[in-house]
Amino acid sequence: MEMAGFPILTAILSTTILGLLIIIFIPPEKTKLIKQVSLASATVGLVLCIWLYYAYDHQKGGLQFVERILWVKSLGIYWFNGVDGINLPMMLLTSIVLFTAIWTMWELENRVKEFFALIFLLVAGVYGVFMSMDLFWIFVWYDVSLFPMYPLIAIWGGTRKEYGAMKLTLYLLAGSALILPAIIYLWVAGGAHTFDLFELQRIGFSAFDQKMTFIMLYLGFGILAAVWPFHTWSPVGHVAAPTAVSMIHAGVLMKLGAYGILRIGMTLCPAGAQYWSSLMALLACIGIVYGALVGLAQTDLKYVIGYSSVSHMGVVGLGLATMSVNGINGAVFQMFAHGVMTALFFSSVGYIYDRTHTKIIPELGGLSKTMPIASSFFIVAALAGIGVPLMASFWAELLVFIAAVKVFPVGGIAALVGLIISALFMLRVVQRTFYGEKNPKWEHIPDVSGFLAVPRVILMSIILFFGMFPKIMLDVIQSTVIPFVNRF
Amino acid sequence: MNSLSTYLIISALLFSMGLMGILQRRNLIGMLISVELLLNAANLNFMAFNRFLAPDPVIGQIIALFVMGLAAAEAAIGLSIILALYRKMHSINIERAQRLKG
Amino acid sequence: MGALFHDPILLAIVLGTNLPFLSMAVILLFTRSNPKLSSQISVGAILVSAVSAIYLLAKLHCASPLQYQTLWFSSDKLLIAFGYYLDPLSLLMLTIVGVIACLVQIYSLGYMAGDPGYSRYYAFQSLFAWAMLNMVIAGSMLQLFIYWEMVGLASYFLIGFYYEKWSASQAGKKAFVMNRVGDVGFFLGLIWLVIGFGNLGIPELNHAAATQGLPQHVLTVAALLIFCGVIGKSAQFPLLTWLPDAMEGPTPVSALLHSATMVAAGVYMFSRIFPFFSASPDAMAVALAIGTITMLLSGTMAMVTYDLKQVWAYSTVSQLGMMVMALAAGGYFAGVFHLTTHAGFKALLFLCSGIFIHEFHTNDMRIIGKKGGRRLKIPMACIAVGALALSGVFPFSGFFSKEAILGVLAAQPNKIWLAAALLGAVMTAYYSFRLIFHLLFPKDGIEEKQHEEHGHSSHGHEEDHHGYIFWAMAIPVMILAGVSLVLGFVEHPIEHFLIGHIVEAHPVAHGAEHGGGEWLMIMGVSAGLLGIAVAWFEFGRKGASRKGFLSYFPAVWKLFDRRWFLDIFYRKSLDTFVYGGLTSLFTKNDRRVIDGGIDGICFFTEGSGRLFSFLQSGMLQYNLLMMVLAAGVAVLYLLF
Repeated sequence: MEMAGFPILTAILSTTILGLLIIIFIPPEKTKLIKQVSLASATVGLVLCIWLYYAYDHQKGGLQFVERILWVKSLGIYWFNGVDGINLPMMLLTSIVLFTAIWTMWELENRVKEFFALIFLLVAGVYGVFMSMDLFWIFVWYDVSLFPMYPLIAIWGGTRKEYGAMKLTLYLLAGSALILPAIIYLWVAGGAHTFDLFELQRIGFSAFDQKMTFIMLYLGFGILAAVWPFHTWSPVGHVAAPTAVSMIHAGVLMKLGAYGILRIGMTLCPAGAQYWSSLMALLACIGIVYGALVGLAQTDLKYVIGYSSVSHMGVVGLGLATMSVNGINGAVFQMFAHGVMTALFFSSVGYIYDRTHTKIIPELGGLSKTMPIASSFFIVAALAGIGVPLMASFWAELLVFIAAVKVFPVGGIAALVGLIISALFMLRVVQRTFYGEKNPKWEHIPDVSGFLAVPRVILMSIILFFGMFPKIMLDVIQSTVIPFVNRF
Repeated sequence: MNSLSTYLIISALLFSMGLMGILQRRNLIGMLISVELLLNAANLNFMAFNRFLAPDPVIGQIIALFVMGLAAAEAAIGLSIILALYRKMHSINIERAQRLKG
Repeated sequence: MGALFHDPILLAIVLGTNLPFLSMAVILLFTRSNPKLSSQISVGAILVSAVSAIYLLAKLHCASPLQYQTLWFSSDKLLIAFGYYLDPLSLLMLTIVGVIACLVQIYSLGYMAGDPGYSRYYAFQSLFAWAMLNMVIAGSMLQLFIYWEMVGLASYFLIGFYYEKWSASQAGKKAFVMNRVGDVGFFLGLIWLVIGFGNLGIPELNHAAATQGLPQHVLTVAALLIFCGVIGKSAQFPLLTWLPDAMEGPTPVSALLHSATMVAAGVYMFSRIFPFFSASPDAMAVALAIGTITMLLSGTMAMVTYDLKQVWAYSTVSQLGMMVMALAAGGYFAGVFHLTTHAGFKALLFLCSGIFIHEFHTNDMRIIGKKGGRRLKIPMACIAVGALALSGVFPFSGFFSKEAILGVLAAQPNKIWLAAALLGAVMTAYYSFRLIFHLLFPKDGIEEKQHEEHGHSSHGHEEDHHGYIFWAMAIPVMILAGVSLVLGFVEHPIEHFLIGHIVEAHPVAHGAEHGGGEWLMIMGVSAGLLGIAVAWFEFGRKGASRKGFLSYFPAVWKLFDRRWFLDIFYRKSLDTFVYGGLTSLFTKNDRRVIDGGIDGICFFTEGSGRLFSFLQSGMLQYNLLMMVLAAGVAVLYLLF
């Protein structure tokens, strides 16, 4: 594996770093320029990611666009990047969510420069985790992506922002405190002085080592993926965070957790994953039903979405736990679909909150009359959340449930019941927020303007596009997943 | 009388007085003077060891000279800190400077 | 792509089924502010659909089943195909849906005129038409399920069309969630089949040899789970209460979705994989029982309500129960034929009621009768035709299909099903004519004067568009009335058309349909006439009490009127177990146990920090003292 041609992955990563650097040198008063620069750099990233997705050869499969340079010889750290069917959808997702999140925040007035700088730092970390194939770098980028969350929430946040920020940071750092020892354990147990994921994979570990490290990695990354019962930071964090941060957080950051379990945990410790798979399935099923049921009782729009995320990430977890092609295909697809869907959710709630200054459901109501377009974005997201066919998440859920009913019949059926509840609570929210008598309090509020509708329309069309043409995504995903599963 | 232990005892006494002063005086200037006593105790030690034990007669004296220079610098910095502190709280009583209380 | 233009059949399919989607997209994106253009686009699209459906029926009516298929996507060994399957059943259903949807959309031009949500209405109508047409010709069960869900979605939007009204959005939600309950069963059934059988293609499932390879219990479980879908969509017991509530939607919607086509989708799905279901006698027995219970329960409910649309809603549930009975008893043709005739006359009944409702702004049959409902001659005549057809009176279409069903049931060894069906027929006739007589002969005569005044004050402006609006509504109604009159006489061509291809696989089912004799026909007709006679005695004749015999039993009346307390039961159990039980328990768990635990750890850390912070006095000299003492201890340790 050598450098081949133009280092596109490093280029994608550097769009965010460059954006960050340029923003640092723009005087803070020039908010418009800062936003333009941010959007431009996000656009470059998006275009590169789309090109990457297009250029990836799924017939061939495997790791492509590899960049591998030895960085620290004594420790065996490599600057090692590459994409395969698992992280390629994640890269695409990240670029989409970043692009739309920046556009969504176009009306931000408070400390614009710092906000976008931190967003770029955050996303640099996310890109880094997704593209890196070196344990050391994965961990570094992972922590880079965690750190900016604290100031982003604590400064620009809303409800109980200090509490939310603190809770989130503590949880995620606790997770990373489990991951680091696991990585060091693997490095030592491997005995080859290398952090290279694939070299470690070739070495193979004893069953005991695998069991030990997998559970640490699972819990550590699982916190970020909001695995029950480590989920409570996520709704609180979402509620406190500003719109774009919620979008990136729920849309992308939570995927880092599931991705970490898949990329490090299941790649390096297949036997460990096998050993713990029933625990994973159990927690995932509880998460699916539990998240939906708790969501039923919430009165804050963002809490509702937060708990629906818990439920949907449970589907991802269930897919991973099945350890089968369909399950993992579905899980990766669900990560993508859920990312786009949640981004749309938070984006539309963000608009409503910006205008009405409330996200308490009983205070809203009748919004469909005053802002039909803004409402329809939320309704589409809700339908995607319910798993209505011809939306991307339907296919993901179908695949996961096919695998789950086969491997864990009881859990799979219980999780399917969660679908009924999720329909109930989504429709309940839609009804209470958007239907009913016109509320005179919101009558003066203008509907979403054409310019601000763009990011939401993009997200909506992506949901529908991959709902109608799932092949485009599944071919890529399974090009990697099939050989991946065959190793178990 | 003219033996090493005499000097060492005097220096120990000097050191103890200095330490006592540092630990017990509440006046910052007093503490600074006590620090000088500590340094002088050390100086005395250097000179005594040099006089009775060291083959090379100069080395102890050089170190003593260094310590004196150091003491001068220390006094200058210490006084300036005390001055800054005085400006802030109009007192040089150390009991007033308890910002770090947990 | 090239094939599309060289194959007129494929072109007709693709255009016919997908133009409505295009029209929805255009309306939602571009013409929302231009209601007239929106409606024209939508009606134009559905006209094309109807024409292409008829074209396909004419072109393919004696050809063997036609199948188009392409790979949608694959995952592991799972191949999901996207395709169309055109056999007599789907062609028939395609025509029914296309034609009725077309008529209803034309009718809506009048009914919905002036509504602020006119464009939105047509967008959702188009969405429905697209989903329903695609569902009918779906090539695999998964594809059918997908459009099945989309149909449900359209229904959700259309029931909640007047979303300012709390009850409307509530009814929409209820419909969606109750359907969801059934659909999850259906979904699970499909997953079960994927795992057990590996293929969801409709022809494959119907192929006798394929299903015989499966163990009986797998087959039965799959069939029962899939039947859950029928229960949800076709409002069978115990999920039947969403359909009456769905009448909150505009009347044309009730006519199209909640009587003629969408709710019949459940029955259609049942007949779609009929051979598959027949392979499991246990599942068929369950279906028969559920159909019967549904038919009887909803019949009783229809006997006590005064709401025009509610009567037809309960009646729809009841007739759907009858179709399920017919199919479950092995009467493939009888069920499908009843579906066909029912689609015609029930749409007719709803659309006629819609004209009354539009004119008098009320759903109460007593008020409509009092205000002079019978003056509207065309709808009055048509509603009578519909009611006669529903009651199964010769020569209307309902007579023929009901006879066919009775024939099937008579062939069952257990005669209780036949008895139940006859009881159902009596009830049907009773409640239909209870309504008709209420309209024709209101209790205290017609309030002539009031109507005249009403006419003078507002007729002027109504007269302006009366012509256009009235005829937009009346013409579809008359067409449907005509269809209800004729349809019965083409029973044998339809039977030949439908059974011609299925007879080899199931000769028994075919034979059963001709099992009845003359006595059966007499019984069927007399059941209908008996119901009409009772209704005449109580509501029609001069000096009738106009109360109904059930009013002498208040407890029974209440039971029927409150839908056998099913709704209350659901509400209560939802409140107790879900909202009151699990949800609040889990929420508390989140707040108290999980968050409380985490916060507890934080407080513990903070508290112990505070505890030890007293050591930090802030006095420089204590720190120094500690340092000296520590140094002293270290020196002592090193020395000794």
